Amino acid sequence: MTPGEVPPDLAPVDRLLRRARFEPRASLGPEVTGRLRRGEAPAVPHRRTPLVWGATAAGFAGLAGAVWLMAARPAPTRTIDRCCFDLDGGGSLDDGVLVVTTPGQRVQRLWVYEDVDHSGGWTAGDRLRFVRGAAPVLIGPPVSGAVATQCCLDWDGGGAADDGLMVVRSSPDRVVMAAIYETGPDPASIDGWQLR
Amino acid sequence: MTPNPPATRAPDAAPAPAPPAGEQWYTEFGTRIYRYLRYHVASADDAEELTAETFLRAVRAAGRFDPARGNPKAWLFRIAQNVLRDARRRDRRRGSVPLESFRDLVSDAPSPEERVLHQEEVRRLLTAVDGLAERDREVVSLRYGSELEYGEIASILGIREPAVRTRLWRALGRLREAMTQ
Repeated sequence: MTPGEVPPDLAPVDRLLRRARFEPRASLGPEVTGRLRRGEAPAVPHRRTPLVWGATAAGFAGLAGAVWLMAARPAPTRTIDRCCFDLDGGGSLDDGVLVVTTPGQRVQRLWVYEDVDHSGGWTAGDRLRFVRGAAPVLIGPPVSGAVATQCCLDWDGGGAADDGLMVVRSSPDRVVMAAIYETGPDPASIDGWQLR
Repeated sequence: MTPNPPATRAPDAAPAPAPPAGEQWYTEFGTRIYRYLRYHVASADDAEELTAETFLRAVRAAGRFDPARGNPKAWLFRIAQNVLRDARRRDRRRGSVPLESFRDLVSDAPSPEERVLHQEEVRRLLTAVDGLAERDREVVSLRYGSELEYGEIASILGIREPAVRTRLWRALGRLREAMTQ
């Protein structure tokens, strides 16, 4: 796409649109390919033949009310924003973690950010170091020993300060993995931690 | 004298197995599909989920894709259009709450203040895009979101290339009006 392909009077809005460029997070590719490899089914069933539709329509009609009720009352989520640690190995206590979780269940979103404006929490001016969805993924080669942990805090919204955070980096300022764990009987030993 | 044995490839030089079609499609078109969807939804989270859904559906429907009829790009974009349509239908019942709308915005602004200003500019722009008619939004998102050529857009929308230009310019005119109001 090259500039100058639109009439001159539309050039300003053309320029504005060219500045609105989005980039998917680096961990999205590994997440999608992981879901493809597991053979995960799409959220919406694929189109069926009219006969199958006819046979299943009655069943679906019976379920529709229940499904509607479930959809109308989504599980409550909590957003936990904690700052400021040195998680990326940069040497200063300016890294924050934002977790979206359904209390008692798996973490849904996890961000590691640099608190650029020193606000003590996530703001639009901060820089994201790592973003992932529900599945923990490794998005680059880790460096031996470049692991930061924070224990024990309430990272999963369950209410108890019994969760550990693990952040793996490949170089200063480059985070390649982050995950929340429920600690075991011995919080000092990472062996018994369970993935949240 | 025995002839030289035929040259054999060392095991470590064996070519890596080709990735399954879905993964290959994601590698080739994942970012463009994401950017197309991103022009239609309020948050990066939604765009991520719909991108994943597009490729999950594509893999399920792979048996119906005929490579002889062209490359998979137009086919994948049509699946993305359907995914988007279904999501709209679903979201009428269940609204989504975007955590942070523009974490995926590419910005070369050097300071946090300038980054915030850029985000505000894009927010205004996408609000105006959201106010366009469906067919105008489609052509804008394919052109500026996915950065597709006019010919590629024509094949996805099933219209002729000059019609794509006309539709795009008309959409840009409407956007300009919306942004000056």
